[in-house]
Amino acid sequence: MRVLAAILTVAAALGLGGSVLAQPAYYAGKTIEVVVPFAPGGAADVGARFVAPFLEKHVAGNPRVSVRNVPGGGSMLGASFFAANAKPDGLMVLCTTSSTVFPWMFGHPSARYDLSKMRVAMTLAFGPVVYVSPRTGVRRPADLLRPAEPLVYGGIAATGSDLPVLIAFELLRLPVKVVLGFEGRGPVRLAFERGETNLDFQFTPVYLTQVVPLVRDGKAVPLFTGGAPNARGELVLRDPVVPDLPSVFEVYRELYGSRPAGPRWRAYEAAAALTFSYGLTWWVPEGTPEAALRALYESVDRIVADREFQERAKSVTGGYPLRRGDQVEAAVRKAMQPTLDVKKWIADLLRDKYNVRF
Amino acid sequence: MAEAALQALQVFANADRLGLLLAGIVGGIVVGILPGMGGIVAVSLLLPYVFRLDAVAAVAVLTGALAVVHTSDTITSVLIGAPGSAASATSVIEGHPLARQGQAARALSAAFLSSMIGGLLGALGLTLSIPIARPLVLALGAPELFMLTLLGVSFAGSLLGKDVRKGLLSGLMGTLLGLVGPSPAAAQVRFDFGSLYLMDGIPLPVVALGIFGVAEVVDLLARGGSIAQVEGLGRGWLEGVRDVLRHRWLVVRGALIGMWAGILPALGATAGTWMAYGHVVATSRDRERFGKGDIRGIIAPESANNAVAAGDLIPTLLFMVPGSASAAILVGALLRYGILPGPRILTDHLDLVYVIIWSYALASVIGAGICFAASPALARLTRVPFAKLGAPVLVAMALGAYQASQEMGDLVSLVALGALGWFMSAAGWPRAPFLIGFVLVGPMERYFVITKNLYGWTWLARPGVWVLAAALIAPFVWASIQRLRRTRPASEVPSRQSGRRVAVDVFLTAWVTAVFVVGAVLAAQLVPGARELPLLVAGAGILLSVAQLFAVFRGHDAPEEVPEPARVRASLLLLAALAGFVVLTEWVGFLLTAAMFTLWVCLRLARMHPGFAVAYTAVLAVLVGRLASLLSLHLPAGRLGL
Repeated sequence: MRVLAAILTVAAALGLGGSVLAQPAYYAGKTIEVVVPFAPGGAADVGARFVAPFLEKHVAGNPRVSVRNVPGGGSMLGASFFAANAKPDGLMVLCTTSSTVFPWMFGHPSARYDLSKMRVAMTLAFGPVVYVSPRTGVRRPADLLRPAEPLVYGGIAATGSDLPVLIAFELLRLPVKVVLGFEGRGPVRLAFERGETNLDFQFTPVYLTQVVPLVRDGKAVPLFTGGAPNARGELVLRDPVVPDLPSVFEVYRELYGSRPAGPRWRAYEAAAALTFSYGLTWWVPEGTPEAALRALYESVDRIVADREFQERAKSVTGGYPLRRGDQVEAAVRKAMQPTLDVKKWIADLLRDKYNVRF
Repeated sequence: MAEAALQALQVFANADRLGLLLAGIVGGIVVGILPGMGGIVAVSLLLPYVFRLDAVAAVAVLTGALAVVHTSDTITSVLIGAPGSAASATSVIEGHPLARQGQAARALSAAFLSSMIGGLLGALGLTLSIPIARPLVLALGAPELFMLTLLGVSFAGSLLGKDVRKGLLSGLMGTLLGLVGPSPAAAQVRFDFGSLYLMDGIPLPVVALGIFGVAEVVDLLARGGSIAQVEGLGRGWLEGVRDVLRHRWLVVRGALIGMWAGILPALGATAGTWMAYGHVVATSRDRERFGKGDIRGIIAPESANNAVAAGDLIPTLLFMVPGSASAAILVGALLRYGILPGPRILTDHLDLVYVIIWSYALASVIGAGICFAASPALARLTRVPFAKLGAPVLVAMALGAYQASQEMGDLVSLVALGALGWFMSAAGWPRAPFLIGFVLVGPMERYFVITKNLYGWTWLARPGVWVLAAALIAPFVWASIQRLRRTRPASEVPSRQSGRRVAVDVFLTAWVTAVFVVGAVLAAQLVPGARELPLLVAGAGILLSVAQLFAVFRGHDAPEEVPEPARVRASLLLLAALAGFVVLTEWVGFLLTAAMFTLWVCLRLARMHPGFAVAYTAVLAVLVGRLASLLSLHLPAGRLGL
């Protein structure tokens, strides 16, 4: 009864009146399978599993939502599996990170999926915070150009979630020694705490819970965030979760006195948008009925308004709201299809500095 | 602190909570018994249900399941010879021979008791190390982690068996297989042959199931008869308990090794178990019985693999750096309840930390109790003609392997590695070094590269590295001193220059040589940074395997026991049938294939009455379907969509 009452209230609020009841909801009695192309336990898996019960609660018709991990091929296997098996009925949803987008963007031969032939159902942001060890003598971003000891950054792989941060180092022309090969962001943070590295970034939930205590103890100095997109998708705003820190955009302006521009900046914008701003993206195949898409979009509004979601999202995602696919799709597509010079710039950086060949 | 601990215990005075903990335990036991399925499957299976509970109950259910998976997985390892989870493969090596000798009861009771004590020691260690774990974990940097992986490899050295060259070749093969997938140093995927499946490397459960499980089951089926080859169940229950009491310090040592392997996220559960096993073998004076059913080889690893999961909780809870996928899922669950692992968990949620510890301890005891109670009945399975059990066991193994990445590649690897495992077993090659090489090469290379890039050569000057280097060298020094003291006759090693040339041995050695040659050729084409280790491994492999090839051709080094030709033929037929299983699954799907395979085994090997065979097959098919939907497992559908 309470569910029905809630649906009625929401329906009334949306001005749909009785029409919702007249037509049975598209998802009533159905099951949505969310394909996560990563192993259980990773950030993408945690995010997808976090949102799943809220989809059950708020998608009109209360479908069952099950999460299915299809790991392998650096997420290309699961995405290819989705492309081969998903029918345009909105019952199978693919949940990706930039690890799925980049290989497709650079035309990896094993990426047997076409993201341009999929629709964005919703997205969730992950915000990075870059911080240094006080041993470097760096107190503010401007000090980064003259550190007291060489800057050492630990990362996982150049093509993963490290990419936008590595591009930011290039953009800001920071003298950083990059050591890749760690098995995850957690071990990288341990290496920072041990003093093996002195420059690191963590996503906001981890930053707020694990790094802020270090900051309080004087063992870490937060410097800047990745920034947040404005209405046109430009990454010029501050991160809403950590508003007291400047963004990469601001740091560039402070260091070099002008607005960042050119392929470096656009490469950063594209990589950061895909990794951070739209870090987790839920896709459905092209041709999915409007009724299904609308049900998914509208569920986002209700999830974001859900107190329980707001409360729990703080610890899981850092508190970024879920975004409706129809509101962000254009920005996601823009980031996914950078101009040729930007693509070439990224490919050159990866090849020359990190020995990556596409 | 004690007060908080007691308060947390009161949580379980509530019947509902205790009931939920029991539910978690039963879930963990079932998943543990299913071949190849470990903690990850258990936790992801329970996850959708626990989210409807409050935080305390959810944590109790998940921890309860994690605590018992490594207790019940032993049942499958000992009785059937297929690892119940990747971390219990050592119990296949030592426990399964005991089952064959009619001592299943003894092996199981020793294993359960060690598991229980290991779990309890783990819980105790967890409690005690909470105040000191943080500085200790932070004291160990990349160089020390690298040295620890080397230590693990050196433990493998004691498992090489009598024929050192075969042992080394086995280890190098496993290492080469472990190198398949992304290179940590250079952004290049190695040995993927353009296949997406191989890009992330072959999943560990598939390797453990193939090398040990398939090989064992095929051999059992080919040999005919029941698992136990002698009469009488044995009054082994008490004997197993006495074994544990006699070797009580082994239980403690195993638990300590396991806990530390868990605390250091670089190593992982499987490596911890193998290190405990290698440690027992290395420190035992009489090594004759190892590999043929030595109870000590069960006690220490079983204690270790339960302690690993407890140790793993330390980095998980104190640093939010989970050491295993199952711990990562636990973190995800905690986050959902707004509970943040990290330094503050001890001040903000100390009660919950104790709930976790108590759940772990209680589950260890209850789980072992349930397994004890169930085992007399299970041990009787070793008396049943194995042909009647063979089909369901193989189907369950295929099901377990397929859950690793839900790709046909899982089944192909399972059968291919099963064939390799069978040949190794038939030719008298030890299989333990294979799995150790496979498990440790990843962290070893990763931490070597990170160490080199962070420290240059200065890492060699770190005191921690020296301490670990001493631990690495000590056994060798000790052994040489012992050898100098004991002036033993030179001809102690029996000469086995029998002049026999054994077909399986010749074939295996030639094949292994070819694999190393292909590996070297492919490795040479990789970029710098990705190719050094594969070249080293393949190069050493070529040298050793060519030497072995000469020895084999000249009739030296023949295996002690040569399987008779009829058994070889029957095994090869079964391996071919398994290959057919994979091909058929690809086309008509898993269920239909499993049914056809079962029918074939029932009629041809078990020689059942046709009507009975059909009924048996139908029941099995329904059960597999039910199990799959109950555990939300995925079955290959087949191209024809049947």
